[in-house]
Amino acid sequence: MTPLLQLRDVARSYVTRNNLFGQARPVRAVDGISLTVNAGETLGIVGESGSGKSTLGRMALGLELPDEGTVTFDDAPMPAPGSAAWRTLRRQMQMVFQDPLGALDRRLPVLEQIIEPLVIHGIDGDQRSAGLAALASVGLSAAQGARHPHELSGGQRQRVVIARALITSPRLLVCDEPVSALDVSIQAQVVNLLIDLQAERGLGMVFISHDLRVVRQISNRVAVMYLGRVVEEAAADDLFRAPQHPYTRALVSAAPSPGPRRVERVILTGEPPNPAARPEGCAFHPRCPVATARCRTEAPAPARIAPGHTAACHLLTPAAKVAAR
Amino acid sequence: MIRYILTRFLRAFITIVLVVTFAFVVLRLSGDPATIILGPEAPPEAIAAFRKSWGLDQPVLVQYIQYFAAIFQGDLGMSMRDGRPALELVMERIPATLALTLPALMLKLAMGVPAGVYAALHQGTAFDRAVMVAAVMGFAVPSFVLALGLVLVFAVNLGWLPSGGRDTIWHAILPIVTLGLGGAAALARFTRSAMLEVLGQHYIRTASSKGLAWAVVVRSHALPNAAIPTVTLIGFLVGSLIAGAIVVESVFSWPGVGRLMVVAVANRDLAVVQCILLLVATTMVTSNLIVDFLYGALDPRLRHGARANA
Amino acid sequence: MSATATLPPARRLPQIPWYVTLGMGWIVLVLAVALLADLITPFVYTAMDLQYRLVPPFQTWAHPLGTDELGRDVLSRLIVSIRVSLLIAFGATLISAILGTTLGFLAAHFRGIVEQAVLMLADFQAALPFLILALSVLAFFGNSLPLLIGLMGLYGWERYARIARGLAISASAQGYATAITQLGATPQRVYLRHILPNIASTLIVSMTLIFPEVILLESGLSFLGLGVQPPMTSLGNMVGYGREYITRAAWIMLCPATVIVLTTLAVSLVGDWLRDRLDPTLG
Repeated sequence: MTPLLQLRDVARSYVTRNNLFGQARPVRAVDGISLTVNAGETLGIVGESGSGKSTLGRMALGLELPDEGTVTFDDAPMPAPGSAAWRTLRRQMQMVFQDPLGALDRRLPVLEQIIEPLVIHGIDGDQRSAGLAALASVGLSAAQGARHPHELSGGQRQRVVIARALITSPRLLVCDEPVSALDVSIQAQVVNLLIDLQAERGLGMVFISHDLRVVRQISNRVAVMYLGRVVEEAAADDLFRAPQHPYTRALVSAAPSPGPRRVERVILTGEPPNPAARPEGCAFHPRCPVATARCRTEAPAPARIAPGHTAACHLLTPAAKVAAR
Repeated sequence: MIRYILTRFLRAFITIVLVVTFAFVVLRLSGDPATIILGPEAPPEAIAAFRKSWGLDQPVLVQYIQYFAAIFQGDLGMSMRDGRPALELVMERIPATLALTLPALMLKLAMGVPAGVYAALHQGTAFDRAVMVAAVMGFAVPSFVLALGLVLVFAVNLGWLPSGGRDTIWHAILPIVTLGLGGAAALARFTRSAMLEVLGQHYIRTASSKGLAWAVVVRSHALPNAAIPTVTLIGFLVGSLIAGAIVVESVFSWPGVGRLMVVAVANRDLAVVQCILLLVATTMVTSNLIVDFLYGALDPRLRHGARANA
Repeated sequence: MSATATLPPARRLPQIPWYVTLGMGWIVLVLAVALLADLITPFVYTAMDLQYRLVPPFQTWAHPLGTDELGRDVLSRLIVSIRVSLLIAFGATLISAILGTTLGFLAAHFRGIVEQAVLMLADFQAALPFLILALSVLAFFGNSLPLLIGLMGLYGWERYARIARGLAISASAQGYATAITQLGATPQRVYLRHILPNIASTLIVSMTLIFPEVILLESGLSFLGLGVQPPMTSLGNMVGYGREYITRAAWIMLCPATVIVLTTLAVSLVGDWLRDRLDPTLG
């Protein structure tokens, strides 16, 4: 079976200029990542801000092209953003944004915005009933459809964005921090809605978040990013039960989890990652509790440490897999 | 800072080039200059001679380059009306225009800035409200209406001042007052809001809460900072003086550049029009450059060259 | 996103200051006069009555605002002038708003060279007093009504362009434009159906601020004899010709001058008030 979405060694740099005299300096936001997403599968992407996860999400959707590497959807390369082929492809791939209020046109009733993709892609038929059905599928009433975005709550707006994203029956959905702007009590509802919709429709999904709890709940597989690279990738249960990479272990140990703590708490020290000042060697070494001399000079490549489990760390070999405690 | 100065110079230069290009394009678009100037009944030999003497028989690009070369050598063509060099005609009118615009600028600043500062320091008083009303009125009354109103009152009804010409110093009073009044209220309004903004800042309140006398705070902290945005208005003031001079000189039959412009336009004396266009563009660009440099000198962030990260 | 303030439905009547009410009243009156000009002019505006030359206002019912040097009815000429001046100002404001908004959108969409070119043109426009530019064009091309309207239509475009560019860029940065592009919408759809309605209130406020300036500009040009040409008449044109008779028949000039002042005053008062209500961010 060919994967729905495949990223091969993608890299993307931005040029920043810090002041009037500043030199143009490329910052590698994403630095050589390979990932695949299958139909019916949710890939979680975890990382701190600045890890390049949003850039990765935009490349996965084809909103921007990678500088290096390739992105293929259904084995076909991603067309250039803004081209007619690209626009047609939008029917197949949609996005859910962090800020639903920003993603909606505040002048139009939300029902009208939900059916806009049908208008854009010239999908005929009863657009209004399709819109009402989409509203119902995300748990909103027809009356709420007549309202404007600012008359709805944050969770309701995000439901509107989800309804709009799903109305063309896309095959891939990329959610970039879809719940981090919502109240904690609402987050679970929206996550559950996404889980249900995904199962119902067999969507391939990329779920980007800094919130491990949410990612664990929704993902089949999880990739952990640090400064533009994937440091560890595994099945969600595996990764959270027995994190291998020192960075993942620190993240997992810091996250609140139900029940007795199974992983010893690791406190991260040092500066939070800054993509403009990427350390030599393994990018994580300044904060790594177990870094060696080799880590300071040589960047580790991702390696298979167990079936379906890769990690990029000099200290991890297939034999050295750290057992769950 | 050097980069700042260089970019400003480059932009100024580009603006001048654009103006010259504009003049060239418009001149070429406006039809065959030969028929325009010599008239449709001109004999073909005359037209051919004219075309040759103006280089109109050359390719457009060559004409464009020659045009630039001529202009940067100060050759702006001959006035079609009295056959003298356009530049000379314009130059001899400049003193008359300066005699109006410079005193008007002084008058404008002398009225607008203190009124704005005073209004800001006495916000909400009758004076403050009067400044705001005057600013709105000042915008609504065009300079030619103001000029005619002054003529009606002081020349026609009271008979105190002459209504036109340039024979005595009395003749200059009404034009100067018209030019000076127009925009003075707008200047006051702008100064007022710049001053109010500065007065609302933290450091002013800090300075005054530290026990500094209010007068000292205003003089040493508020005024210099309020001056920064006001400086940017100088370019606007120069522009409004030039535009105002065209109208005012026409109303008062004042033999300056503005009057020359109107007559030249009415007679389609293209060389003179083009010469004045370039003169005005140069003046505006220069005054904008001065504004930029003053602004750079007054604003410490720019002076130190380190602009806040965007 | 304060720039595109969404107005709550008018549940409570806003408190309108008395001078804004007066201004609105004057605007309505002037518009009515302009629209009904043919019906309400007592005389044909070019009709001469050499027996009644330079009749002062309020002397005879036939000519309530008096007559001019050729015995033409000042009221009739005033009414026709209002129509011509408003027509030019409306046409020009519309052209300028459409031109400026389009260029601003193009700059925001393409960025790069297109944006630099638009900004450079805007700088160029702002660096020259418009009156000089207008006079030069009139000198080169001669005068006609369409040219005059088109020329006035260049006035102020750079302000719409800057506003439209800024708001369109912030609309993209904020997300809804990006989100809709991402749905597969064409740029035309994003700009015309989503961004334009969202920034319309700001653009309309700008139009009310630029409109009086266009009236002043047209009347200035016509006053100098370089705008509207006789036998057609406009407000500035009337002032210009009336000026010859300032000593003997000041009313010929005072009537149109008053209309010019009151109209610009009214539109700018209403415009200022609208700006404060809809969009305090505009300068």
